[in-house]
Amino acid sequence: MAISLAESLHIGVADIAMRKVRSAITVLGIVLGVMCIMVVLAILAGMNQSTMQWMTERGGLSKVEIGFNWNYDFRQGGEAKLSLSELRTLQSLIPEAKAFNPNISSWNTRLRYRNKHYGGHLFGVFPDMQVVENWYPAKGRFINDIDIRENSNVIVLGSKVADHFFGERDPIGQSVMLGSQMMTVIGVLTEKYWENPGGGGMWGKNALDYMNHRSYIPLSTMLHKISPGSKIDQVEIIAHSPEAALELQKKLEPIILQMKGGKRVFRVSSAQEDMIQMQQSAKMFSAIFIMIAAISLLVGGIVIMNIMLASIKERTREIGVRLAIGARRLDIFVQFMVQTVLITALGGVFGIVLGYAILDLVSGYLDMPMVANVNMIFTALSVSVGIGMIFGIAPAIKAGNLDPVIALREE
Amino acid sequence: MEIIKTKGLIKDYYLGKVKVRALDGIDLVIEAGEFVAIMGPSGSGKSTLMHIIGCLDRPSAGEYHLDGDLVSALPKSALAGIRNRKIGFVFQSFNLLPHLSILKNVELPLMYAGNSARARKQQAERILDSVGLSDRLKHKPNELSGGQRQRVAIARAIVNTPSILLADEPTGNLDSQAGGDILEIFSELHRAGNTVIMVTHDAAVAARADRVINIRDGLIDYGDLAG
Repeated sequence: MAISLAESLHIGVADIAMRKVRSAITVLGIVLGVMCIMVVLAILAGMNQSTMQWMTERGGLSKVEIGFNWNYDFRQGGEAKLSLSELRTLQSLIPEAKAFNPNISSWNTRLRYRNKHYGGHLFGVFPDMQVVENWYPAKGRFINDIDIRENSNVIVLGSKVADHFFGERDPIGQSVMLGSQMMTVIGVLTEKYWENPGGGGMWGKNALDYMNHRSYIPLSTMLHKISPGSKIDQVEIIAHSPEAALELQKKLEPIILQMKGGKRVFRVSSAQEDMIQMQQSAKMFSAIFIMIAAISLLVGGIVIMNIMLASIKERTREIGVRLAIGARRLDIFVQFMVQTVLITALGGVFGIVLGYAILDLVSGYLDMPMVANVNMIFTALSVSVGIGMIFGIAPAIKAGNLDPVIALREE
Repeated sequence: MEIIKTKGLIKDYYLGKVKVRALDGIDLVIEAGEFVAIMGPSGSGKSTLMHIIGCLDRPSAGEYHLDGDLVSALPKSALAGIRNRKIGFVFQSFNLLPHLSILKNVELPLMYAGNSARARKQQAERILDSVGLSDRLKHKPNELSGGQRQRVAIARAIVNTPSILLADEPTGNLDSQAGGDILEIFSELHRAGNTVIMVTHDAAVAARADRVINIRDGLIDYGDLAG
């Protein structure tokens, strides 16, 4: 039986305490490497988190969109337009969809209430808009199927629009003028709010505030009464799951292509696909940084091995004495192994602490979300222990293999 | 009872490619409870003999029995246990670990023997008390005089009651007063029944022993008996 691990730990701690400066220098590379890993992992986790939040806020990962294909050369013919009958065919072909919302939007519409005007972004939609955008009325109701069938003159306002016209008063049942049409306000949507963790910038603090300036009317009303010439060039579809969304996307692509006579005037995209692409680029980014950290850890490991070898050379006589009074080679091996691992583990702990400090500093400075979690601490710690084990073996074997006679002769 | 018995003990070294014979057939018997001095000029092979007796090294040929075990047949890996249980070393330069308290130094052989922390502390304190150092337990070796350090080394050597006490020039680094005190401790240990083997080149020191074994050119020199 070798002496207990606790015994070796005890010896190791005493040695490190005795050679504080040397231990600190020994471990510098590990501290920096671990710190680097911590920061990279936290930045990645932060990026992932805010991307996820953004996606969820924009309808989630189950969303599939048919929209104008900006990459298509329209000189080759075709028009990015879907008729109502084409839409009905489309909808009947994908009964598995959870929500189906074609829409038309118009930028320059003028709403008027008494003497107040409001130039806003107007959408003609299906009732499913609520499901697609995960956005529901705070007051009143949203457009329903009857409104679509009847081409009703009803309107649902965004919170900013309602504020502008009615302030504190109840907007429900009031009439607003949309061009020459008189529209009855049936609902006001909840306020959309998402605090951009990247810190406002040109959109102000609320990255989704533009949505609060919108108004919604039935798609049929839009087509028949408000802007008869307009085209449906966007359909938002929600699947039951992100995986189903990918399948739906694959299924829709050939259907749309066929509908448009083989011309790629529409692009079918899914949030899940965008997410996967984003994650792939995040992986690339992290691979590069992890490699930099790995190089730093490798150099740190080599430094540790060197210093341990020098330390063993210096302590040859001590090893000889220990061997003479009954230490086995295994005891000596374990003693130096434990000491190396202890030093690197301590380095890991310092690296984690420093990493946290830097995260605090940098995330405050860059206004970037960084998420540190327990997993990272485990990763960082196991990496530093691993380095200690790998680079501690050679010195420990060397120490364990010393010949007691020669070791005792060493001055 | 024979505690040590060697038969035709041979040890060869290689200095580069040149073979050097350090021991050339040593036949030696030491009885339990004897106080023996091994003498010889430098280069005579006495240190090599001591290393083999102390199980720090193995003979190239020949037999070595220690306390009934044929240790010359044991692999190197088994020798650590023998050193721990059966041999107590006292070195010329004390060889205490400088960063450990003298208590911890004396505890070391007990630690490698696998004794509990509590048992070894008690045992080490008892032994240090017997060599008159019970008031210095927490001191580091460099806070003690040479004589005191050698007494710590003796305490460490005897703490787990070995079969033989092996001392290599134990007074070599001490003034005559301290050296005399140390020799007196060896004599006391001998009177208490311990087997003491002392390697020295000092005839006055060797004179304290019951018997002197002279080594010359790797052989026991029977023609020039001293003491």
